[in-house]
Parts: sequence; structure tokens; C-alpha cells
Amino acid sequence: MSPSLVPLLVLALLLMGVEHKDAARAELVMSGTHELTDHESALIVGDASVTIPVGVEILGPVYVIGGDVRIQGSVRTSVMQLAGELIVEETATIDGELRSVAGSRAVSENATIGRRTMIELTPTSPNPLLVLLPFAFMSGILALAGAAWARRRPGMLINVGRALTQHPVISLTVGTLVALTGLSLIVFMAFTLVLIPISILGLLTAALAVGCGVVTMGHLVGQHTRIRKAGLATGIGALLVMAGLELIGLIPLIGDLVAMGILTAALGAVVITYFGLSEFNPVKLPE
Amino acid sequence: MRLFELISRRSWVPLGGYLAYVLALAAGYYYNLTFIQLGLIDLGTRLVGMSSAAVSAAMAALALSTLAVAVVTGVVMDRRGWNKNLRLKLRLLFAITFSQLVLTLVAPRIEAPSLFIAWVMVCSIPLGAGIPVMFGSMIDFIPVRDRGFVAAVVAGLAFFVAALYPAEWRIEEFSVVVAAAMAPAVAALGFLAFKRLTFVDELSRQHVEFGPGRFCRPHPVRTTDFTFLALIVLMFGIFFIDSLGFLRIIEAPVYMYSSWQSPDMAVRLFIATTHMVAALMAGVLYTNFSRRWIFLWVFGLFAFTHLMYTFHLRTGPDVVPPLVMPMFYVVAVSFYTTLNFAVWPDHSTADTIGTHTALGVGVAGWLASFLSTALALYSESAGLSLLSHLTYVNALALLLLLALPLALYVRRMVALARVSGAV
Repeated sequence: MSPSLVPLLVLALLLMGVEHKDAARAELVMSGTHELTDHESALIVGDASVTIPVGVEILGPVYVIGGDVRIQGSVRTSVMQLAGELIVEETATIDGELRSVAGSRAVSENATIGRRTMIELTPTSPNPLLVLLPFAFMSGILALAGAAWARRRPGMLINVGRALTQHPVISLTVGTLVALTGLSLIVFMAFTLVLIPISILGLLTAALAVGCGVVTMGHLVGQHTRIRKAGLATGIGALLVMAGLELIGLIPLIGDLVAMGILTAALGAVVITYFGLSEFNPVKLPE
Repeated sequence: MRLFELISRRSWVPLGGYLAYVLALAAGYYYNLTFIQLGLIDLGTRLVGMSSAAVSAAMAALALSTLAVAVVTGVVMDRRGWNKNLRLKLRLLFAITFSQLVLTLVAPRIEAPSLFIAWVMVCSIPLGAGIPVMFGSMIDFIPVRDRGFVAAVVAGLAFFVAALYPAEWRIEEFSVVVAAAMAPAVAALGFLAFKRLTFVDELSRQHVEFGPGRFCRPHPVRTTDFTFLALIVLMFGIFFIDSLGFLRIIEAPVYMYSSWQSPDMAVRLFIATTHMVAALMAGVLYTNFSRRWIFLWVFGLFAFTHLMYTFHLRTGPDVVPPLVMPMFYVVAVSFYTTLNFAVWPDHSTADTIGTHTALGVGVAGWLASFLSTALALYSESAGLSLLSHLTYVNALALLLLLALPLALYVRRMVALARVSGAV
């Protein structure tokens, strides 16, 4: 499962817990191509290709958080699209509400739909500048946070930066372990519904730790610029790091993996230095 | 890593020692994982036609006998100073491997329960003797600084191959393949053990430098020390939890397709690769962090893994289980196996390594694994549901996860109280 799906999954579970309290079970479809048969539980579709064929009835609610869902049969409750692609064909019946928040969709005029709500968070024909807006916003926040952090507590950034540059393998190892277990725990807790607030808190903490990692890399990059003011150098460095990660992500096949590896190592460096509060020193082994 | 220094200096003899040790221990562990631990069940239940309860009793007997042989061999090796004699250890290893080759070849011909019991008891002799001989050889081949990484490569290699081959544990086909692989290894060992080689002479001097383990400097750890005994208890707990859950999981039809015995090659390749990557991660952690962190990770991972399995069984047993479940299981197993390979030599010197590895691997590894495997077989034959079984395993993992930090905290409290004069 892609890490980017985790927040949407938590959100879907949260919505399910609030709106469909009677839904005792949820099935998560995260990979592969599936043609469903009659189904009673709630359905959450991630990075998968799912078809609900003609004549098939889905009794529980359907949440689309990624991948593509093609509805030809009947959904007896509601369908909610948070991302991905949704195709509702003319033979389809949705007794409840069809809500689309983001992602692309094609809904046949002849399909039978109880109620339809479209919230256009992502426009259908996006302006390239608008697409860049979330990225620019996030980069700006990180640059500002980095600038403030470098001015007030430079020692913390130095500690994380040293861990990352002097112990990259250890940072990557710890980062991978923390990311894997952390994300799984967050998803697992979200499934209990009761622990969704803790999951959200976990997601925020994870985002904070990754943000700290990006700021640290910005600090390291900023040191190589000619800017003398530490805050400004870190802020600009953070912007450069964000742009660099985006560019690396464009490399075919390995780009995303490399960018993910860099972020994971940065996360590990943040963790092993207790968010920069302590310098990391590996245990000393005899020769 | 010392390895890189040796490569840059082109020191071929110590590098050859690394290679020999990694290959020998990985092959030995692969044999243990497949032929003994799983092949034994197939041999007893399918070929000989014994009940699961009878096979579980035979496995418990094998565990106890192996432990006894290991401890006797380890103590004798320590008392007679055999640990400092590499040539003698190579000769012992040759005898052990040769007898295992013979036992492997005769295994498919066993048809009667009495022969099976006899075969199991004879098996325990080379298995038990092999523990202090093989694990004790680390002081001849691997410097302290690299032990975590070497242990990781051994664990990763053994699990990688075991996850890919054999897909089905049928002892008839497997014994032929294993025997064919063992024969050249036996010949090579014989050559090294009985021919006067400067390669062996040079390696046999390394124990002077490599002998005192990581936790034995400056003061050696004694067999009766609290640290050593606590380590045995913790490792026993880990092995026990693993085998108790593993056997029931791989035999449950719902998990068959997403586990080690999956007929899907892609699943097995995923598991094999995860084993390798996780073992290398464990090597990095063992080398750079205190051992308590790795124990905490292992217990935490086991607790989380079994929690996922029980959750899945409770909420959606008919739903295809996600690969993340075996993935976490694999990570936990690779972690503790790496720890097991490195931790006993690192708590030993050349004078104690025989006893320490025999007790450590024998009690924590063999006894725990086979007792829990026997218990898992018994629970299956007694009709205990998979959910109930895994709930017990999970409870045990959570208990150990809680007990470790609690014990460390209490120990620190006692130490502080002693310093302040309160105790």
C-alpha cells in the first residue's frame, strides 16, 4: 500500500464509523484487479481495479481512495470518492448518495442515483498553476518553519544533520523500520474505529517528523549557499530540497523510490536524535 | 566494517575465513530449518503414518536430547581447550556433517515408528554437537566488530533460500537434493580438516584477537551471571513464540497462499527478499545500538504481528489476508535469528564459548523451538481453533513485551537503591 493512501484510509474509516455505525465489517481492496460478487460489508478500494458487474449487489457503503472503480451493478447504500477514478455506467444503481470529493469520474446520465453531491476540490481540467498550489504551500510552510528553527535552535538541526550525513545507513534502517511499523499501526488502529483519534495524532506526528527531516536537509543544503543568515539559508534550502525531491520523483521507475528513500533516511535521523535534542552516537565496538 | 579494511589490504586468508563461516553456518541453518524442523513432521506423519501427537512427542524428545548433547559437548570443549584448536573443530565438523549426510540419505527409507524414534535420537547427536562446534567457530573467523553483519548475512541467506526452495516439504525428493548439496561440502571439510594447510594455520591464530566477545570486554560474562541467564530466558521466549504461532499459520488454509508455503512464486519471492532485507537491518541495529532495543523491537513486532492475525481471524477470515501480515512476521524472525547468531559468541570468550553457545542456542533455540512446535501440533490435534491458539501466542508476546522494560526498570531501581543505601 502506498504511504500516501494512509491518510485517506483513516479518513474513510472515520467517515464509515460516523455515517454507517451499523457496518460491522469493512473489506479493504488494495491491489490487483477484482470483479466483485454480492457483498455485505463496507468496501474500501485503494490501489486496485474493481468492477461491480451487472446483477451484483453491494449492501455496504463503498469508499474510493485510489485505483479505479467501475459500477455496473447495484450499491444499496452510498458511494464516496475521495480519490482515484470512478466510473458509474448506465446499468448502475446507487440507492443512497453518490459523493465525489476528489479524483476523476464519469457518471452516466442513465444511471439510477438516489442523490448526488459533488465537491470540486480538484477541478476537472486543472490549471497547471493550481496543481502546483498545494506543493508551493507545503514548501512555503516548511521554509518558514525551517527559517525559524535555524534561528532559534540551530543545535537541533545540526544534530539531525550530523546523524543523516555521518550515519546514513543507520538513519535509513531506523527510518524504514519506524515508517513501516508506524504506518501499519496507524492503519490498524484506525480499523478499530475507537482509536481513530490516536491514528490521526500518529499521522500528524509522522508528518511533523518527516517535515523536520526535510528542514534538516534544507539546513544542510543552505550551508552550501552563500547566504550568511542561517534562517534564510535554511528556508531557501528547504525550498530547494522540496523542488529536488519533486524532480527526483519524475525519474521513471526509480524516481519515487529514491525520493522515498531520502525522506525515510531523514525520518530515521530525526528519530535517532530525538528530534535533534540529542547527538546520535552509535555504540563503540572493540576492534 | 573490518571486512572493508581486509578487502583494501587484500588479506585473502581472513576473507576466506569470512566466506567459509558464512557458507557453513547458512547451510547448517538451512538444513535445520527445512530438513529437521519441517521435514521431520512430514516424515513422521505422512511417510511413517504416526499421529501428530506422537510426532510432537518425538520432537520434544529430539529437543531434549539435542540440548543434552550440546551442553555436554560445549562443556567438554571448554574444559579441554578445544575451542582454541581450529583443526580439531574442523575435524569434529567433518564428522558431524558426514553423519548428517548419512542420516539424510536413510530418512526416506524409514517406515516403522520405532525406526523413526531411533532415527530422531541418532539425529540429535550431530545436531547437538554441531551447536558449540559451529557457533563456537565464530572466534576463529569473525572479528567482533563485524559479527552483527555476518550474522545478518547468514540469517538472510538461509531464510532466503528456505523461502524459495523447497516449495513443498516432501522428504523423499528433498533428501536427495540436500544430500547432493552436502556431499561436496563434506569433501571440502575433510580436505580442510585433515590436510596440513597454511590457510587453516593462519585462521587458527585469530581466536587470540577475536576471542573476547563484545560484552566480555573488559570483564568476561560468566555462565551464572544475571545478564547471561536473562538473555537465555528472553531468547527462549522469542523462539517459543515464533514456533508456536508459525506452524499453525502455515497450515491454516486461509493463510496458505500468503505464507511460506504459498504456491505463488511471487509471494515466496517477496517473503525471501523481506527476510534478507530485514536481516541486514537487524545487522545494522545490532552493531550500532544497545541489545535491549533489538529485543524490544522483536517482542513488539511479534506482538503486533499476532495481533494482526487474530484481528484478521476475528473480523474477516474469508477475506484474502494482506501480505503485510507475513511481512511483519518475517521481519521479526529475521531480527531475532540475526540476534541469536551474534549474541552468544559476543557473551563468550575462548574459554566459555562452548558452554555459552550450547546453553544459548540449545535452550533458547532448540528446546524452545521444538517444545513449542510440539505444543502447536498438540493443540492442533486437540482441536484448539486457530484463533484461540494465536490469541495465546499473542498474549505471550505482549507479556514479554511488557516484561522486558519492566525488568530493566526494576533492575535500575534496585541498582539506585543499593547506591543510596536503601537496600
